[in-house]
This record gives sequence, structure tokens and C-alpha cells, in this order.
Amino acid sequence: MHGYAGKVLRVDLSRETFVEEELDPQLARTFLGGRGLNVYRLWHQVPAGLAGLDPANVLVFGVGPFNGTLFPGSGRFNVSAMSPQTGILGDSNAGGFFGAELKFAGYDQLIITGRAPQPVYLWLSSKGPALVPARSLVSLDVWQVQDTIARDTGDPRVQVACTGPAAEAGVKFAGVFCNLVRAAARTGMGAVMASKNLKAVAVRGHRPVTVADGDTFGRLLGELEAEILDHRQYVMRCRLGTTHLVKALNARGCLGTRHYTTGRFEAWEQVSGERLAELYKVKAKACFSCPIPCSRFLRIGALATEGPEFEGLAGFTAMLGCADLRAGLEAVDRCNRYGMDVIATSECIAFVIECFEQSLITAADCDGLTPRWGDTGFMLAMVDKIAAREGIGDILGDGVRQAAQRLGRGTSRLAMHVKGLEFFKADPRGIKGYALGVAVASRGGDHLRSEPSFEFCEDKELGRARYGVPQAAFPLEYLGKGRVVKEYEELCALADCWNACKNTIVNMEVLSFAKAAAFYRALTGLDMDAETLQRACEALVNLERAFIVREGIRRSDDTLPDRFLHEPLPPGSGPSSGHVVELDPMLDEYYDSRGWDRASGVPTPGTLERLGLGFTLDDLRAAGATR
Amino acid sequence: MRDLRIEVEEVQGFCDLPMRPGDYFELHGGRISIPQGRYVCMWALAALIPMLPAKQRARDDPNDWLPRVDRMMCPDPEGRVVFKITPLGNEQLPCSKPRLLVDESACSGCRSCEISCSWQQAGVFDPELARIRVEKQEVTGLDRPRVCRQCGVAACVRACPGGAMSRDPDTLAVLIDERSCSGCGECARSCAFLAIRLVNGVAVVCDLCGGSPACVARCVTGALRYGTGGGRKF
Repeated sequence: MHGYAGKVLRVDLSRETFVEEELDPQLARTFLGGRGLNVYRLWHQVPAGLAGLDPANVLVFGVGPFNGTLFPGSGRFNVSAMSPQTGILGDSNAGGFFGAELKFAGYDQLIITGRAPQPVYLWLSSKGPALVPARSLVSLDVWQVQDTIARDTGDPRVQVACTGPAAEAGVKFAGVFCNLVRAAARTGMGAVMASKNLKAVAVRGHRPVTVADGDTFGRLLGELEAEILDHRQYVMRCRLGTTHLVKALNARGCLGTRHYTTGRFEAWEQVSGERLAELYKVKAKACFSCPIPCSRFLRIGALATEGPEFEGLAGFTAMLGCADLRAGLEAVDRCNRYGMDVIATSECIAFVIECFEQSLITAADCDGLTPRWGDTGFMLAMVDKIAAREGIGDILGDGVRQAAQRLGRGTSRLAMHVKGLEFFKADPRGIKGYALGVAVASRGGDHLRSEPSFEFCEDKELGRARYGVPQAAFPLEYLGKGRVVKEYEELCALADCWNACKNTIVNMEVLSFAKAAAFYRALTGLDMDAETLQRACEALVNLERAFIVREGIRRSDDTLPDRFLHEPLPPGSGPSSGHVVELDPMLDEYYDSRGWDRASGVPTPGTLERLGLGFTLDDLRAAGATR
Repeated sequence: MRDLRIEVEEVQGFCDLPMRPGDYFELHGGRISIPQGRYVCMWALAALIPMLPAKQRARDDPNDWLPRVDRMMCPDPEGRVVFKITPLGNEQLPCSKPRLLVDESACSGCRSCEISCSWQQAGVFDPELARIRVEKQEVTGLDRPRVCRQCGVAACVRACPGGAMSRDPDTLAVLIDERSCSGCGECARSCAFLAIRLVNGVAVVCDLCGGSPACVARCVTGALRYGTGGGRKF
């Protein structure tokens, strides 16, 4: 096969066996790769109601056809399983270099089942797959694990995806990390990995990625690169990456501040991406094959590290009322080394502070600590406690939904999550397309399933032309957003199936389905057109929906915490002041455009049949979800 | 042996001796001569001395870096005195062709250069086939592209026992004739810059893509350039 490696490796950790399979080209063409192929495997191999930490859970690493090529930002990988945190679809992806190396090692997918009797790591090299005892890696942090494996294998070019001590301690939002700070952090894939006694996957590849039509592929690459380099956001992205959002969202009045109690942070300038770039950035860094070096190596005091993205930066500054950039970066660094999700961790801490402020919990609940906004000592202590699941950290280590259930006392209304997953650090009330996207995302509260950046364009004509109403092009309007989110979910699905970076191919609007199909034809030699490609992405969104419907998700779960639906953003939040999320009309529009039943939010049998997903119907009927 | 004039070109900061622009001394054979009534700083001279005999040698190998190093600096960080070294008498510099120049402080570590190279050379994407390799140390943030420097006197060409290596007459790039390469690895061992590797039993080295290197074309940060080194960098 061209583009694809053409091989899938099944690893049974209980029996310590490996089975190599050919990747069926028709299956590849239907589910594309990465997230798409992963979810396909989960649908067929994960029974309904399976617990995330059950050894029967299936952990799948997947890459797409473009990984390893010069396609911009194609170094990513997806890791998927039943989530131990949310009880629904678990899926997360990360950049860096691991995805490309997995492809060079000759695999499109690793399907890992069972539970190793002793801690091991999976070592994929030119000598084939092997399970290596990893007792000496237990309790090492992410940085140490990667360093140790590079030394043990004697090859500095080995790429390692691993878990940290948080996963071993049983933190449900522990992630899978590569290249020190590249985190597939969401939905607890690290917790699944640790439950299988699998400390790391180390890969070193020696096989080329081949191209069916090199001339066309080269020409398309040249055009795409030129478009990226000429893009009006190019320089800003190279300088700041996503950290520019601190300033941008604050200006819009929807920077999640002090647990979403207001949309503007008075000290935003002290913690902005601009300040970070001016004072502490040493140089720009990039993932594999990316022409946009949007990351940065930074030095601040004794701390020298790469990162952070907006979510970590805002999560440990504005969200906690912390004006100390250095302390915020320290907290992000600790999360990375412990191997846990910055979004969930910062939400848990903000939740505790607000609960305390509203007198729902006491200092005694917090092991004697006094939760306060902007208290860096408290913030860092909480990060440590959560990672070790110690005291209050043990309560928080299951995620904010379960923490609120365990604490009781009315704290649930302050737990900011959707379907058990904490969400981004923007305030949904100021960006309503994103709000809808978060409410319906198939892995729970998550903006990366849709990223409807169209709503920032403020171009009435374009809004009318593409989505039927001018309002679609404005972040504070709700009309048309159902259709915007539908299309952007499909663009994001494409990015995740190809394991290319959404910052580039979705947010910079440089890749239409027509151009994407041309790329796919040139790379793989398989037949593809724009319509078929978009339908494949639509099918993936529907398959994921079927997966979570099978787990009991319905329209009532497609919601946001009450605060965003009923409490207007307070005055002082700039243009977003006074806004709430008008979720119901957006949901109706979204379900209609998806061909899902309005009342239940379940895809209709007709929709599933049309998308070639008839195979899901038996399970959905058995679950009583559809006729 | 060349005679040399060593002249102060610029003083960056404060030199308390003081040395001033225009001050100079000359080297005639083994003798240093200083114009009557003038002087030269002992510390600057101490820094310059090791270079001067090398600069006196007459070398005219193409691509030799030495003729192109023509400025040196006093090591005092407070007053950096820049000396320009000029051979006395009319002399043509030997030819120097562009080569790959690296600024590792600008390198983002994306490794696009590696797969651009394999794409150009072999029509596939495979870092193992690349003639350029980025050495990375993630903990310190180091990204260092290892490139062939197309040395003037190329140790690899001298080391090759089978005569499989030559220089491109146009670009001066080191070339390897794959058919005569025995894969003995002498060239790789002789390279001080770790720029040659054996792939499938054959040595591979950068051929500058015939004068338009694919790695440079894809490098967006400016960490890789195609040009002549040796000019002023400070």
C-alpha cells in the first residue's frame, strides 16, 4: 500500500503474543486512519458497558496515511479505548514525533488487549515487536521514562509514548505522553495503559513511506506550503502558537476566569502568550514535518521546558486567578512530568476553590489547606496531591464529576464538565458555536472535536453563503451554528484520521475536502473524491455517536453546566457581557443537519444506513435507542 | 608564506588600553613589526597568535575555510576589539562554493529537512535515507542539524580506499559512486562532523542536490542556508 504502512499489530499482553495483520485497503479507505480506524476497532471489540480499567478494554494506537510524509504537521497519533473517566468513548491525540516513527516502524495501528502480569514496555524496532520488563521504570516520571528508554535502547532517535506516576496512582485523567510534553491527555488513556501494566510504547522505524503519484503529491505539497507561509496568521502562529488566545479571548470577554465566574482576567497581560514570548522564549519548536513552529522552548528561573499550549497556560493562570506566570508554568510542568491532563487538573483545583468560597466545603476537606484564588502555593500543592491521589487529591483524581458526587453538599452544580469530561478554558457564553461543539462532542466536554473557527470570521455574506444565515459568522449569535458545527466536526474528523494538526488544516482553513481528496488520491492511489471523503468523516462522527448512544448517551446529556445556560456573563466581560448559551435551538438545528432524532439525539436508522453504518443498528436496537 | 597586516577595524564597547580603529601591526616571516611609537595590546595579541602562522601558510585548496577567516576578536567582553587580517601583496582567494550553513539556535527541530532529503534523493519519505540528520536533546531544547561541510581538504575523499569518492566540479560537493563503494565505512569514520552514514551497505553523503538543496527549500526557520561561510558573524 502507498501512504499506509499496510500493517496492524495485535498485542495480547496477558498471553504475551503478537499477531500481524494486513490492513484491508477498503477498510482503510472507509475509515481513513487514526481516530477513524481506532473507533471502528472499538465499536467491534469493546462490549457495551465495559469498565475502562477492565483488562478486556482495548487500547488502540493509530496513525493515518499521511504520517511520516512532508504533509504539514503530520506527526500526530491517536490513542483510543473505553474511557475510565467518562465511561464512554475515550480518544486522545498528540503531536511530536511518535506518530511518524510508528509509521516508519511499519504499523498503521497497534491494538493492545489484556494485562501484562508484570510491568512491561512494548518495543518496536527493526527486529520486530517485543515486550521488555519495565520494573525499573515504575514510578519514574514521564521525562525520566523517556530518557531511560532512550539510554537502554542506545538509540537517541527512539520515540517513546509513556505514562507517568499519575497513571500508576490511578488518576483517571492521566494521559499518554511523548517528546516530554506532547500529551494525549484527555479521557484517561494513560490510566488505561497503566491498568494494563504497560508503561510505555517505544518505537524506532526503518521503513519508508511510499507515494503512488509523486509528481502530483509534490505539486500539492508545494501549493499547500505556499498557502500556509502566506497566511495572514502565519507569523503570529510561529511566535505565539495557541498562547495568543489569552489576549484574544480576554478581549472578547470570554477568557474562563476564576472558574468561569467572569470573562476577563484583570492580570491577563502578566500571563499572556505575548509576555511569555518576549521574556522567556528561547527559541521556536515544531512537531515532526511542521512548517509552523508554534511551540517554544522556554527558560524561566530554574525551569527549562517546552510548551505550554493555551489550555495549560490559561488553566493555571486565569482559571485559578493566578497572576504569577512562573508559578503557572511550574504547575503545567509538574502535570507533564506526572503525566496528567492540564485541563482536568486545573478544573479540579478551580472547582475546590469555588466550593470553598461558597462554603460548600471546609479547610478540613482540603487537608487543612485554605483554597484561595491566586494562591500559588495551594495550586502547586494540589497538583502534587492529585497526582499522588492523596487526601483531597484522591477525591479529585477521578475527575470533577465523580469528585462532586463524592463530596455531595450541592457541589455538583459547580462541577464544570460535559459527560464527565472537563472542558476548555474559554467561557462558552462568548463563543456559541464552540459551546454547541463542546455540548455534543463524542468524547464529552471537548472543543477539539469541532473547533468551529468559522464563527470568528464576522463575514455576513460568507455566513449566508455557507450556512444559510449571516449570524453563522458571529461568535455571539446562535443561528446557523448547528450547521457550522456539523461541518467543522467533519473537518476535525479528517484531521484526526490523517493525524495532521487541526491548528493548520482546520483553523487556518487551508484544506477543503476537494483538495484533501486530491492529496489522498496522489498519496495512496486509492479512489477518492470530495463527497466520499466528507461522507467518510460524517460516518465517523455518526459511528462515535452510535458508540456513546450504546453507552446510554441521549439528548439530555448533550448539555452544558447550568452556569452557562442560565447565568449571564457578568458586566465587565466586554462584548460577551450578559450572554448565556442558547443551547436548545442550536441542538435542534444540529440534530436536523445530522439526520438525528430531535427528541432523543439518536441517529435515525436511515442516516446510519445511508452512511454505511447499518452494522450498528442491532446493538442500538438492543440498547433500546432506536426502532 | 604570506606576510600579513593585522588592523583594528572596530572597537565594540570600551577598550581601556586603548586600541583604536586604524591601529595595526604587520607580520613579515617570523617577525612582528609595530609602527614606531605605536603599541599592541598583549592580551589581544595572545589571542591572535595561534591563528597567525596558519594564516601565513599558502593554501589554495578550493572550499578551504581558512582563507576566509579574516577577522578575529580580542576576548575582553567589555571591549571587543575586532582585528582584520589582510595578506600583504596582491593575492587571489581560492575558490569557495556555497555549502549548507547551520544556525542551530533557529532550528525548530521539525526534521522536515530529513524527509525532504529522502523525498528528493529516493522519492520516498524515510529519515534513514536522509543525508542530513537533526540531533535532538529534548531536555535542553537542542536541535542540531548535522550536515556535510564539503570540506576543502575532505578527509573522507582521502580515506576512501577504493577511490569511490570525488568532488562535483560545479558545486564541489563530495560525491560517492555507489557502484564502487565497498561499504567499508572508512569515510564515515574519517568525518569529524558525523555527516556520512552507511545505508544498506553503501555510504551516503550530501550531494547538495546539484546546487539547489531540497532541505534548505523546506526549512522555514532559516536554520539551514545555502551560502558561503567565513564572513563576519558578530
